[in-house]
Amino acid sequence: MSQGHPLLKLEPLIWFLFGQGIMIGSILMTGWLLVVGVLAPLGIIPPEALGYERAHMLASNPIGRFILLGILALPLWKGAHHVRHFFIDRGYAAHDATIGGLAYLVATLGSIVSLVAVIRL
Amino acid sequence: MPATKAAHPEAMAPAVNGPTRTAPPMQPSSWKTSPRMKQYSRFGLTGWIYLLASFAAIYIVYGLGSGPEAYAQVQALLANPLVIAFHLLCLISVGFVLVRFFGLFPKAQPARIGPAKPPPQPVLKAMLYGLWAGATLVLSVILAGGIF
Repeated sequence: MSQGHPLLKLEPLIWFLFGQGIMIGSILMTGWLLVVGVLAPLGIIPPEALGYERAHMLASNPIGRFILLGILALPLWKGAHHVRHFFIDRGYAAHDATIGGLAYLVATLGSIVSLVAVIRL
Repeated sequence: MPATKAAHPEAMAPAVNGPTRTAPPMQPSSWKTSPRMKQYSRFGLTGWIYLLASFAAIYIVYGLGSGPEAYAQVQALLANPLVIAFHLLCLISVGFVLVRFFGLFPKAQPARIGPAKPPPQPVLKAMLYGLWAGATLVLSVILAGGIF
């Protein structure tokens, strides 16, 4: 990657978002995955806990939206950064600029869609 | 201020080649299967899982924002055994990432920032695990209907 490449210029921002993704995103995702992804579908918690009325009430208040945005968008940056490094580790360092650019583009678009999803609640 | 310029990669090379030259660096053929590289690759693979987990979460929230009928469809999909298995895999990945990250984080702290010194490594590690457990407990209890 040449000096002055946009990915190098954006490195502080990318690392900031990656850091928040791996720390805050992972911490928030644990409870989300446990309850929304596993316990509720298995019927271990009462169905009304995540029924439409209550889920919408929890998600649409300002604090709920803020936390939800963290759950949706931050892990994208952790994911994109590690996908990029996965390819570097597997021997594709020569294509780092392309792979990294694509990975962060996916994270950027996903973050925009996350923001829209949270705003339209 | 003079303009900076990228250094030439051979800038430090001797003007005349010596009788013996150092061989260019090469990766050993076993590097992809070495235990260290396998561990790096496992950590890298969690990136794919995080991306998929995020897109699944976006889909759920989009369904919630589209009204009761769309949300009912999302809930039916979430009850699919394959989707539950996927979320279990995501949960394992998150645990793997955080255990590894919490192992590295205390070691990566500077000795001091101005007058402030970070707590001892075991204390810092305990704080991180406490934060993880506390946040997970509070979020899980709220989502499961225990509070609010």
